[in-house]
Amino acid sequence: MQAVTASVRRGLIPAYVYNDAQIYELERDRVFSRAWTFLAHESEIPGPDDFVVRHILDDSFLVTRDQDRRIHVMFNMCVHRGMQVCRAEKGTAKTFRCPYHAWTFKNDGTLAGLPFHVDAYGGDEGFVKEGQALLSAPSVAIRNGMIFASLDPDAPDFDTWLGDFAFYLDFYTAQSPAGMEFRGPQRWRVEANWKIGAENFMGDSYHTPQTHASVVDIRLFGEPKPNKRKEGVLWHAGPGGGTTYKLPTGAGFRSGLGYVGYPDMMIDRMAEVWSPAQQALAGESGFMPSAATLFPNLSFVHNWPQVDADGLIAPFISVRLWQPIGPGETEVHSWFAVAADAPEDFKAASYKAYLMCFGSSGMFEQDDVENWVSITTTARGSMARRLLLNNRMGLNHDGEPIIDQYEGFGAPGTAYQGYGEHNQRHWFSLWADLISQPAPEMEAIAFGVREEQS
Amino acid sequence: MTALSQPTAPIDYMDPRHQRATQFLVEEAHLLDTSQFEAWLELLDPGIRYRMPVRVTAMKGADEAELSTMHHFDEDLYSLRKRVERFQTDTAWTEDPQSRLRHHVSNVRTFVRSEDELVVESAVLLYRSRGDRTAPSMLSAGRTDVLVATVDGLNLRTRDIVIDESVLRTQNLAIFL
Repeated sequence: MQAVTASVRRGLIPAYVYNDAQIYELERDRVFSRAWTFLAHESEIPGPDDFVVRHILDDSFLVTRDQDRRIHVMFNMCVHRGMQVCRAEKGTAKTFRCPYHAWTFKNDGTLAGLPFHVDAYGGDEGFVKEGQALLSAPSVAIRNGMIFASLDPDAPDFDTWLGDFAFYLDFYTAQSPAGMEFRGPQRWRVEANWKIGAENFMGDSYHTPQTHASVVDIRLFGEPKPNKRKEGVLWHAGPGGGTTYKLPTGAGFRSGLGYVGYPDMMIDRMAEVWSPAQQALAGESGFMPSAATLFPNLSFVHNWPQVDADGLIAPFISVRLWQPIGPGETEVHSWFAVAADAPEDFKAASYKAYLMCFGSSGMFEQDDVENWVSITTTARGSMARRLLLNNRMGLNHDGEPIIDQYEGFGAPGTAYQGYGEHNQRHWFSLWADLISQPAPEMEAIAFGVREEQS
Repeated sequence: MTALSQPTAPIDYMDPRHQRATQFLVEEAHLLDTSQFEAWLELLDPGIRYRMPVRVTAMKGADEAELSTMHHFDEDLYSLRKRVERFQTDTAWTEDPQSRLRHHVSNVRTFVRSEDELVVESAVLLYRSRGDRTAPSMLSAGRTDVLVATVDGLNLRTRDIVIDESVLRTQNLAIFL
């Protein structure tokens, strides 16, 4: 593994990492056993007793809101014999009753019912019922209404880990004091390795003029013309990074956001929640965020296509999770996100913009997935074990950047203007950091037994 | 099926209106299988609504078997036309080489809503084969259409598609159902 991590740190990616069973096992044991992973947004479970079921690889989690509106993330496995206590993916329920033996858990996880406790176990003599609950996710954090979990009980503090990425996360998921509304997700499986989407959204502005030429040709979205795309700044900050477009409007918070289609009242609300520095990103520096990735597998996109024949421009935000299914298969979860108190006509136009561009039917996404499936299919073979893919754009042979960092971006992190694979290398360095550490040790937990027995 | 107010029983299969509706669906499938997208657009009413909500795995009896606020398709004539225009560029990579498509249409039931409006239910199974390395994919769906009589024959005014998967097993929806 050391050869692989050393290679990716040099910007040379062994092609087989995109479809290899051993690499995938290491990712499961070392990356996803530790990483903070997105599960759901609070707006998906708006009312008391609402729930969704989400996964971190093969681990199924119930994400619930209890009667007191508190959020819980619990392992969806009955502590008795292992049946899933919930087999729906969303709904409303005060309790979850296991179909196998009718053990019943409240939606805060507490064991509420155990049939024939006295007859079958001799009561607490055989099984201590008091204080038992479904296994909680080891670590949970909520930011901008986004619920994250880590399988590592000793996971780093979420906000510390998020670091300067928080600055950009707010652009996508904190646009109003009223918070955001997440709709979806659309879910579909693609025969592609999960890393490719994550890296692509993190910094690949170079693919846009070629892969997405068709959306320019049909005048759906005019920005990705090659010469325009390369004026954008690529930034990475904390455990993530992203791409921007340089706006033709130049400097100006209101003019920039207005150009991409936000109505005044929404810009007023952004001004309420964003710091002066955050406003300056879309303002004085004149760069508008587009795609971004938060390591390991959560991505964001913000574009502003034309959504009707009269020329209406509407921006949209999508949040997407590249959920690994296997070395050569990914389940894409794609949400549409919008400020909860945006005007209804804006929501409708923005939603239409999303559906036309991204998601299962989106005209950008269709061509992205074609690339990723093709890469993954080809990465399975023997020749791919010999090929080191070049991820060095923006570096000279000595490993020095070919241009200086961009001054005047006015936002945290490292920024370069023009095409480059700085961000993809940063993503791979984070991957290399985790995949070279042994998996965290987990203590087994027994239920219903006295302490001296466990 | 989507709740449209309609009579409980379909009209007789020998009724010419049922025959015309069935022929419309079969001819439409032919256009889609042979990439005659411009001709397909001609079959659409200018006010077309073409929708396919996301299905979810819900507990029996739960209200929400599909998401009310998220679709795979929620299209009007502008967005459908853009999708067709894209297929006609030289840069719509996902369909170059093209998928081999077959729309199998069956289970047609026709209901008369008014003198010039038919409500038509059908099942569609789309077989999609791409390239020579990946397994073919299939999409199974029910459809409820409103067909309107015009001087040029029937036109499609609304199509509500009920997809039979909560997680699609096809790489994208660069297709129409």
